[in-house]
Amino acid sequence: MQYTLTRAEGGESAADRYPLDQRQRVDDPMSEQVHRNLFMGKLEDVLSSAVNWGRKNSLWPYNFGLSCCYVEMTTAFTAPHDVARFGAEVIRASPRQADFMVIAGTCFIKMAPVIQQLYDQMLEPKWVISMGSCANSGGMYDIYSVVQGVDKFLPIDVYVPGCPPRPEAFLQGLQLLQDSIQEERRPLSWVVGDQGVYRAEMPSQREKHRDRRIAATELRTPDSI
Amino acid sequence: MTAADESLISNAGAAETPAASSADVVAELARQFGDGAVTPQTTLTGMPVIWVPRDRLRDVLVYLRDVSRPFSMLYDLSAVDERLRTHRRGLPPSDFTVFYQLLSVERNADILLKVALAERDLSLPSVSDIFVNANWYEREVFDLFGIDFAGHPHLTRIMMPPTWHGHPLRKDYSARATEFDPYTLTVKGQEVEQEALRFDPEAWGMQRQGEETEFMFLNLGPNHPSAHGAFRIVLQLDGEEVVDCVPDIGYHHRGAEKMAERQSWHSFIPYTDRIDYTGGVMNNLPYVMAVEKLAGITVTDRAKTIRVMMAEMFRINSHLLFLGTYLQDLGAMTPVFFTFTDRQKAYEVIEAITGFRMHPAWYRIGGTAHDLPKGWDKLVQGFVDWMPKRLAEYEKAMMDNAIVRDRTKHVAAFTTQEALDWGVTGPNLRATGLDFDLRKKRPYSGYENFDFEVPTAVNGDAFDRGMMRIEEMRQSVRILQQCVDHMPAGDYKADHPLTTPPPREKMLQHIETLITHFLQVSWGPVLPANESLQMVEATKGINSYYLTSDGSTMSYRTRIRTPSFPHLQQIPAVMRGGFVPDLIAHLGSIDFVMADVDR
Repeated sequence: MQYTLTRAEGGESAADRYPLDQRQRVDDPMSEQVHRNLFMGKLEDVLSSAVNWGRKNSLWPYNFGLSCCYVEMTTAFTAPHDVARFGAEVIRASPRQADFMVIAGTCFIKMAPVIQQLYDQMLEPKWVISMGSCANSGGMYDIYSVVQGVDKFLPIDVYVPGCPPRPEAFLQGLQLLQDSIQEERRPLSWVVGDQGVYRAEMPSQREKHRDRRIAATELRTPDSI
Repeated sequence: MTAADESLISNAGAAETPAASSADVVAELARQFGDGAVTPQTTLTGMPVIWVPRDRLRDVLVYLRDVSRPFSMLYDLSAVDERLRTHRRGLPPSDFTVFYQLLSVERNADILLKVALAERDLSLPSVSDIFVNANWYEREVFDLFGIDFAGHPHLTRIMMPPTWHGHPLRKDYSARATEFDPYTLTVKGQEVEQEALRFDPEAWGMQRQGEETEFMFLNLGPNHPSAHGAFRIVLQLDGEEVVDCVPDIGYHHRGAEKMAERQSWHSFIPYTDRIDYTGGVMNNLPYVMAVEKLAGITVTDRAKTIRVMMAEMFRINSHLLFLGTYLQDLGAMTPVFFTFTDRQKAYEVIEAITGFRMHPAWYRIGGTAHDLPKGWDKLVQGFVDWMPKRLAEYEKAMMDNAIVRDRTKHVAAFTTQEALDWGVTGPNLRATGLDFDLRKKRPYSGYENFDFEVPTAVNGDAFDRGMMRIEEMRQSVRILQQCVDHMPAGDYKADHPLTTPPPREKMLQHIETLITHFLQVSWGPVLPANESLQMVEATKGINSYYLTSDGSTMSYRTRIRTPSFPHLQQIPAVMRGGFVPDLIAHLGSIDFVMADVDR
């Protein structure tokens, strides 16, 4: 599996653009470890899996919403959809206590510096879900006041399409994030090993489901319920 | 309630027809100011439209405000960049036109005043001392058009960031983000923008020190759990007491009015859904009705009733969201789970009929997107049977709760007169005791055929505003029941050349109708040059679209008047002297979404 290595850079200058960290594509760091030392490699693999298992099943979302998508995100948090099934019901009002933020709604040029500030206040490890067309790409709002996709300045882990996405789509996005967290390689401690963050390159959902989707030729008419 | 309010309400009951009183007011103005001072314009707005010279504007406004049976509400104020408008025959020369729409509850009538401005002299006297709520509207015009208002207390940008260059609603300003350089955020840029948002009390004429205490300035937002979106309000605090506060908006400005100038009349419909994003198709209604006025389309009874039914579904849906979040802001965790369960039920109906949840964009120019599906009546009936017992439960379990009552009774109360001064409409206005509901006062889309009541309350406080929503849902359920029982047969689309898209059977008849169909979906329908306006009683108050057509496939100017904008402007007047928890209760009780404020 291919990984993306992200390293936080210490010194930043005024002209640097967000996102600040350095990224490069690498092979699975664990496979090299295994070749060097079978026992230590295995141990690290088990530890890493255990830690990731814990992380992915207790994701605390940041209570952050911008527009319409936030209503559907909130719907996913209430009883009919019950996000607690995935361990992500502990909404935090402070970015300092949250594990991931969902950019649920349109990212405005006036709001972008505020979003960056809130993202910076979250502690590592942290993830970002971009929810809805506006956050993904600007969507139908190709207009002077809207940033054409929040990935212009934030690193995004999962994109959820829709305008707005259904609550089920948000829950699927959350599960995709969990899958990707399970494959992550992060330093087990600040003194152990390489301090880079290795994110697995997960398979594209569009390609995965493409054949099944184009196989559908008969669509139901809207004449009956 | 004061004696003045009492008389206001009794007068409102005896309102006369809009047409009769509109003739009076033009004659009154001509008598008072001379024929030369008022130039009438014929439009499809359904109200007198009068051009007044700039130097008489203030006199005319004061006269209309103080005349017997006064125009006591400044309903809307905005501008039009007229420099590219071709169909202007008979109108006074103007590069930029600023318009003022006044509303009279006693007359049940409106009047639209227009002032012509030349490009080299874009200045007007401010009217914020005549109508208090002109303050934000004038700032918006200054921000988006670059028109100066002499004597305005704080003329700064309101929608765009303070560091912005240019005035987006001018015709020479590009609409698309992709016409500008791609957005980048640098470390330096981040600091500059954040610094520009820093609150400066002196700029707002605020003291940092009281007689005995030093005030604390608390920045609430633009991201705060009880601010319901990207809304910021800066509080000047003496302990827990709110001495003063300054709401700051513009964090949700999606440029919908500019968007209307580049989308065809038809393809703008999805953008209206996203104005009051909890209102769904309720937003389509004023827009398509205003377009139909321009096009001269008469909609069938079936289409009207389907529209009323879906709009009321969304009213219930929006009020349920309100109720859950309002109580959550007061500290109650459970209600939101209950109301969202009901919303899910509503969505099952909405989805089966329209095919989408939040933003169906389901109304069309001349009708709806398709007919009701087979079995719709069972679905709606199921929802109608489900709701009443839930509403009774909400009232008993939530609104009778002692904590909720203590937190909201006599909190953030305002009178009918104050509400009218600030442009407050909808349930928030009716909570003060005035039964001004457009569905009754100026019935549209067949509301005159329905049997329902307009609930009102007495105190105009945060509690009454909560109760109003429960009562309104009961009335909406009644309307839904009548839709199920008496849905008219017939077409769901009008048989008119400008119905978009045209009825499919027509399209298949011969080459002429096929060409019309092709042009309407590729270029869009061409509407005759004129102006029209439609107001509706939306979920949060009165929402209206004021359309100016220049005889093209796109709107020349679309003014969207939303209820939440004046509701937020009123916050400082209500909150001065209150406590911070009262402010949270008040924010919860207003029922606003930021897209409805900033558009």
